[in-house]
Amino acid sequence: MMIVDMLTLTSWKSEVSDLKLQLRQLAGSRAPGTDDSKRDLFKKVISNMTIGIDVSSLFGEMVMCSATSDIVLKKMCYLYVGNYAKVNPDLALLTINFLQRDCKDQDPMIRGLALRSLCSLRVANLVEYLVGPLGSGLKDNNSYVRTVAVIGVLKLYHISATTCIDADFPETLKHLMLNDQDTQVVANCLSALQEIWTLESTTSEEAARERENLHSKPYVYYFLNRIKEFSEWAQCLVMELVAKYIPSDNSEIFDIMNLLEDRLQHANGAVVLATTKVFLHLTLSMADVHQQVYERIKAPLLTQVSSGSPEQSYAILSHLHLLVMRAPYIFSSDYKHFYCQYNEPSYVKKLKLEMLTAVANESNTYEIVTELCEYAANVDIPIARESIRAVGKIALQQYDVNAIVDRLLQFLEMEKDYVTSEALVLVKDLLRKYPQWSQDCIAVVGNISSNNVQEPKAKAALIWMLGEYSQDMHDAPYVLESLVENWDEEHSAEVRLHLLTAVMKCFFKRPPETQKALGAALAAGLADFHQDVHDRALFYYRLLQYNVSVAESVVNPPKQAVSVFADTQSSEVKDRIFDEFNSLSVVYQKPSYMFTDKEHRGTLEFSDELGNLSINAETGDSVVPAQRVEENDKDLLLSTTEKDDVRDPGSNGSAYNAPSYNGSVPSATSQPLADLAFSSTGATGQAPAPGLAIDDLLGLDFSVGTATTPSPPPLTLNPKAVLDPGTFQQKWRQLPISLSEEYSLSPLGIASLVTPNALLRHMQSHSIQCIASGGQSPNFKFFFFAQKAEEASIYLVECIINTSSAKSQIKIKADDQSSSQAFSTLFQSALSKFGLP
Amino acid sequence: MLQCIFLLSDSGEVILEKQLTGHRVDRSICNWFWDHTNSQPNSYKQQPVIASPTHYLFQVCREGITFLACTQVEMPPLMAIEFLCRVADVINGYLGGLNEDSIKDNFVIVYELLDEMIDNGFPLTTEPNILQEMIAPPNIVSKVLSVVTGNSSNVSDTLPGSTASCVPWRTADPKYANNEVYVDLVEQMDATINRDGVLVKCEINGEVQVNSHITGLPDLTLSFANPSILDDVRFHPCVRFRPWESNQILSFVPPDGQFKLMNYRVRKLKSTPIYVKPQLTSDGGICRLNVMVGMRNDPGKTVDSVNVQFQLPPCILSADLTSTHGTVNILSNKTCTWSIGRIPKDKAPSMSGTLVLETGLERLHVFPTFQVDFRIMGVALSGLQIDKLDLKTVPYRFYKGFRALTRAGEFEVRS
Repeated sequence: MMIVDMLTLTSWKSEVSDLKLQLRQLAGSRAPGTDDSKRDLFKKVISNMTIGIDVSSLFGEMVMCSATSDIVLKKMCYLYVGNYAKVNPDLALLTINFLQRDCKDQDPMIRGLALRSLCSLRVANLVEYLVGPLGSGLKDNNSYVRTVAVIGVLKLYHISATTCIDADFPETLKHLMLNDQDTQVVANCLSALQEIWTLESTTSEEAARERENLHSKPYVYYFLNRIKEFSEWAQCLVMELVAKYIPSDNSEIFDIMNLLEDRLQHANGAVVLATTKVFLHLTLSMADVHQQVYERIKAPLLTQVSSGSPEQSYAILSHLHLLVMRAPYIFSSDYKHFYCQYNEPSYVKKLKLEMLTAVANESNTYEIVTELCEYAANVDIPIARESIRAVGKIALQQYDVNAIVDRLLQFLEMEKDYVTSEALVLVKDLLRKYPQWSQDCIAVVGNISSNNVQEPKAKAALIWMLGEYSQDMHDAPYVLESLVENWDEEHSAEVRLHLLTAVMKCFFKRPPETQKALGAALAAGLADFHQDVHDRALFYYRLLQYNVSVAESVVNPPKQAVSVFADTQSSEVKDRIFDEFNSLSVVYQKPSYMFTDKEHRGTLEFSDELGNLSINAETGDSVVPAQRVEENDKDLLLSTTEKDDVRDPGSNGSAYNAPSYNGSVPSATSQPLADLAFSSTGATGQAPAPGLAIDDLLGLDFSVGTATTPSPPPLTLNPKAVLDPGTFQQKWRQLPISLSEEYSLSPLGIASLVTPNALLRHMQSHSIQCIASGGQSPNFKFFFFAQKAEEASIYLVECIINTSSAKSQIKIKADDQSSSQAFSTLFQSALSKFGLP
Repeated sequence: MLQCIFLLSDSGEVILEKQLTGHRVDRSICNWFWDHTNSQPNSYKQQPVIASPTHYLFQVCREGITFLACTQVEMPPLMAIEFLCRVADVINGYLGGLNEDSIKDNFVIVYELLDEMIDNGFPLTTEPNILQEMIAPPNIVSKVLSVVTGNSSNVSDTLPGSTASCVPWRTADPKYANNEVYVDLVEQMDATINRDGVLVKCEINGEVQVNSHITGLPDLTLSFANPSILDDVRFHPCVRFRPWESNQILSFVPPDGQFKLMNYRVRKLKSTPIYVKPQLTSDGGICRLNVMVGMRNDPGKTVDSVNVQFQLPPCILSADLTSTHGTVNILSNKTCTWSIGRIPKDKAPSMSGTLVLETGLERLHVFPTFQVDFRIMGVALSGLQIDKLDLKTVPYRFYKGFRALTRAGEFEVRS
């Protein structure tokens, strides 16, 4: 090996020195045809560079040969220089001369290329040579040179921020952005300035202000008015900006949407998706328009899925999945679009299966499940597994599972080990939710020989069923006994744990038949090297020793059917991902803060969650602005101010029907909210009493609510604090989160939540005012504020209450950071008293 | 924003590397990428978005070439993917096909293209027409031209006039002796048919392809006889939206040369032009297979290039298949292809034979999906018809030509 390496190394070395010699010979030559031979040589150098051979030693010779009028030679030379200047800063100086000369060439193409290369050298001690050419590049009468120069400024900023700022380039760019004829120049200015101002804003207030300004009406309108002139990529950039803009009233929203509507028909998927984002974000506060938007974007997105390349479909499908999570009904009649094609790559199929699961409802379940069953016989085993899982998930989310159970049981009879395994796991989950099906399922499961099931998860599921339904399965004790006999061959601890429990359960139901197996299982368990298995065996042993009936009530108590399996993703996380629509977060199904470092979040970072708190900030208006917070799918809104915004935006002739907000709306919407909340508490708790008892037993939540209510600290609040929504919004954006906590709420408090505005009045009595609220069961979101007595210092609070977990998540922002802990205690004490008589 | 673009060969070797920003991305990322994809199961190898420990990677695979882009900042994933697709398309168009050798032979052109397509990680222009004006393609014509004129550079001397014009997709003032416009309707039928012969899903994805050679700045209008059948449309940037919205008329100033004017989708079609009926019965370790193909609804034109392909399940040891028409081919990877060509008028072709199952297996549990290919010249199966094409603003007479073609897209029959 070493010898071969040495040989190739020497051959490289000789080739490089050979090239060096030839370049030298050509450097001074003016003979005709020199350019052609140079071109061949340059090509060799570049191709060596491309395969990763270090040809930096030729730097001097390459520069010497660079005196040429041939543009291809120039381009190759620029490429070479750009690649190696950073490692050869001293030699890079040699290139400055000819690049600067080229920057003054007659041909605009050469001027542009030279300027681009000059800025791409990225050598810190050469920045002084950049300022001049960049300055004249920005003023060049050819737009190509200007587009290059604008990006050049950004490159300069990254090499030396101070040089860039001192030369006042950002100001020049701003001027160009607002005045240049060429939209590519404008777009480049926008992307450069966004980056520069974002980075500057940490140190300079002016930059922060400028950056904020980009989202202001004059700028946004300026870009929107020219939107059709921009290239498709620049359009994406503008859309990103518009998505952050907060329009002042509804008619503005409709104007923007009407202007952008044809962008949904664009051939470029990136433009379509960026437009979709704008539409969704603009209409967050208008429930029925938001629904219309879903209808409108449906067809273009589906077209993108079926006509694009698999890679494009993948990206779009990830976004559709997010949308369908928020509005499951939108695609319920288009489910056929998510049928898998034989030739599609698995990553697309997998997403399509997820979509099929998500869009299934009463009307289409039969067709979808039929289709999924086709895939179970697929040659692609991972997809076959996924599709069986999908059938199971659909079964768990439906009310009428009659047909699905039959299908699942058919899977069990398919005699393919992976199909059987997946189906067993599903049947287990199904029985936990619908115990009424046990007769049918057990009959089929009983026929499966445990020898044919190898996968731990499936084996565990089978064993669980043997234990749980041992009274109905004739040979359950004997099957378990034979499994216990093979204890040592069972490698999975999970299976052994299940086996212990199952034998115990079986023992309580059929003691004489199981006694032998139980003894063997406990003995094997006690001797097990796995800590958990050992501990459980010991625990069971001692329980039995203490009292058999107590042991039964611990190991095999009567169970309630599981009504809802825990969702792995909280709705807050889903909302965060939605805020980051059209970003990587969607593909990963995680909000960016969970997978990126702060420094890498980049310019696309969503400003804050306030983006979806849309407040009509018309302070000049005599009408008290409506305050709305959008929270969940159905956008049920609670208005805290009784006077609502009376406006009729339908008169602008827009294609969208504006909802008319009048005085009667708030009461009409809050009524169903109350109904909904009532029914949901009834459903989740079934009987509230056992819930309380469990809380009591564990001594956790309930005590927090009553016994250990923290006494209020000596922080006093102004009972008549006032803050207008605009200021709230601004402050919320500016201030950092000083505290983020999770409290538990008393069950009584949760119960009181169903009364509209009860919490608001309660908090008001503690001098904490609510500015906006919304949501529906189980998640409610409130924005509060409070003011320190005799001081201007303001506290802002975002409070998300989840009624099913009885938890509230609090984020506090404060002018006076030092007292935020005290305020938090105060807030918590006020909240914990909520609902108590 | 993208930080770097790599082109990798099918053996994972870096063919080309283009750094886009000051944050240099080390080549070692390609090694990580290659090891990572190879560790994935086959069907997940080409997952378009991958998180590496240091970068987010986007990949698009075309003809064995992997276009890999890296970024460290949050960005719209579709933008990166779309861009890579365009890069692949443009390079493909320039080199007349994508393969390792053609890229290696023309890497200077590829570098030049990338230089104009993206700067500092932000996409600039990806319109092939515009790029061709900045960088001439390496075809024979330009080689001949360079010999004749003595101008050996493949870079045009002038910058495209359109970079400053308000019609960014059109070159400034092309001149033609013969003015002509050809409009092609090219449709692909996607269909899924289940084992009972029921049409599970059937839709058409179509394209209106235009090849325009007209002097000056022509303003064209194209209308359809039955635009209401279209379910969804996508347009080239040149199409004005308002006339379409109000009257379903395509009004546009075309780019010069060949381009895709519009994509459309027609859903819920009721029937397919041909039928394919597979029958599999298995017993005692032997499976009998019979496939019939025939015309269902005669489209009025000949159906040709008919081809049926399927993958034999892994549990099949050997297969003996014969056909009454056309040829049957079984490859070593168990892909079976039955090339029929044109369906004879008098008799429906069929293929039949026996498959021997693995020992110990009584019956077949995994059933193959039959993928069908066909082509019909002269018909757009969606029923879409062009009504007329008019030219405004330019007073020339010009030649108009219309064609139509329907192909099978993802046309699959389950058994």
